[in-house]
Amino acid sequence: MTRLTAGYVPLTDAAVLIAAAERGFAEAQGLDLVLVRETSWANIRDKLVFGHFDAAHMLAPLAVATTLGLGHVALPLAAPVVLNLGGNAVTVSRPLADALAEHGGLGGGFAAAAEALGEIARARSVEEPLTLATTFPFSTHTYLLHRLLGAGGLDPEHDVRIIVVPPPFMVDALRRGHVDGFCVGSPWNSVAVDDGVGTILLLGNQIVRLAPEKVLAVPAERADDADMAALIRALAAAAAWCAVPENHADLAALLGEPRHLDLPAALVQRTLDGALVVDSAGEKRVDPEFLVLDASRPEPTQADWLFDAMRAAGHVPESSRDAVRAVYRSDLFDAAMAGTPVTR
Amino acid sequence: MQDGVVSVAVVDADRARAAIIEEGLRAAGIPRVAIVPDSPDLLDRLVALAPDVVVIALDSPSRDVLEQMFKVSRVVERPVAVFVDRSDTATMQAAIDAGVSAYVVDGLKPERVRAIVDMAVMRFNAYSRMRRELDEAKTALADRRTIDKAKGLLMTRKGLSEADAYALLRRTAMNEKKRLVEIAQAIITAAELF
Repeated sequence: MTRLTAGYVPLTDAAVLIAAAERGFAEAQGLDLVLVRETSWANIRDKLVFGHFDAAHMLAPLAVATTLGLGHVALPLAAPVVLNLGGNAVTVSRPLADALAEHGGLGGGFAAAAEALGEIARARSVEEPLTLATTFPFSTHTYLLHRLLGAGGLDPEHDVRIIVVPPPFMVDALRRGHVDGFCVGSPWNSVAVDDGVGTILLLGNQIVRLAPEKVLAVPAERADDADMAALIRALAAAAAWCAVPENHADLAALLGEPRHLDLPAALVQRTLDGALVVDSAGEKRVDPEFLVLDASRPEPTQADWLFDAMRAAGHVPESSRDAVRAVYRSDLFDAAMAGTPVTR
Repeated sequence: MQDGVVSVAVVDADRARAAIIEEGLRAAGIPRVAIVPDSPDLLDRLVALAPDVVVIALDSPSRDVLEQMFKVSRVVERPVAVFVDRSDTATMQAAIDAGVSAYVVDGLKPERVRAIVDMAVMRFNAYSRMRRELDEAKTALADRRTIDKAKGLLMTRKGLSEADAYALLRRTAMNEKKRLVEIAQAIITAAELF
């Protein structure tokens, strides 16, 4: 048994990694997969960069940012497995939900929400701009917010304030009025609804359908060794298991355990099933593809979407398209799944 | 960095640890040290303080909030980089092992930064050691109380002398391949049931 250590942040989309470690998929590949729960993406990156982790659950844009050395030590990373697509939502405070309803932006889809948000943000003073939270500067959440704000005619740099709040603190920030809304992954939007402090305005798919979210990130220099191929196979098998609706109850209970997400299983299961409760009145929104866990193969089209989003946000230069593509290693995935080790 | 004096902000939810780091930095000749609470308005406070170096516990979720300082030029005018320079991996490794991280404003001399990070690492390690020793002492005391209680139960219920009661506990522990305190706890639990 080879021991591999992987870091993760407690979110529903760590499901594939957690299932691989705890439902026998890693073991079946001869791996002792040890998981370490982390509190920040910065820790995930640093511990991967300095060799404390062999692999990590990582925001796809952070894997790109780390490879390019944006704001930090550069280490080329490879993403040989996609851990999920989607799973995000935009949640707003109850006062903002009321204001959106007045402007016809609640329950009417993307365009109506964006337009209403634009009207509300423009009416705010410069001193107290509309404040929205994202999970990390380099995250799909940031880019989804940019897309939404842009559609409402807002400049995300000047017309609103976007701040970083760690996912477990999002609900509290909303409750205390530090932010008017946020974009975050599952299950934190549902926690805000259940706590009675927020209304889900839009599911991620209503902004960008099946946007890239988390990947398995590994240092590129050892991405093609036999252990990583075994890990890729273990994760692909775990992903297929996670995607079977009959397994969701077991998976939700596992994720909800105190050592992982420490949240009620029923709440976690709603995010796995894509059957979300969006407000305190119990209004439901169902999207079976809300969170897709079994899109394991890293597709070049996803890398291109990431490049475009990061380019639009001014996070990467025009010249980096190929570098972004190079992070998404469908070749490693294909080779591992074919059972043939890749040689240089 | 006013008049060449480096200022450091220490962000730590553990106030005792923050105080120990502050004291260490002052002792190392850095007069401008501020402890900043790990609260939701962290970024605003740091912007107001404008420190040259931010020392933050690795286990703080607010590290991601600090990462924003790289991107949000509108909030912080000065560029910030993590740790020292790329080549100084030994310092970074030591820092990660100790559970501390540092953000440094660009343009500071590497030697000065390294001295600050080294001091923070040393103090973090010292604090961890102290905590460990304290925990061990507490556990030892609790174990001792459990064993004394079990010994007392054996003495009153089986009419044994103190020495015999202890010998019985030790023999049972050896036979069962368990720790003395585990046997003692089992006796106390059993006695509570009867």
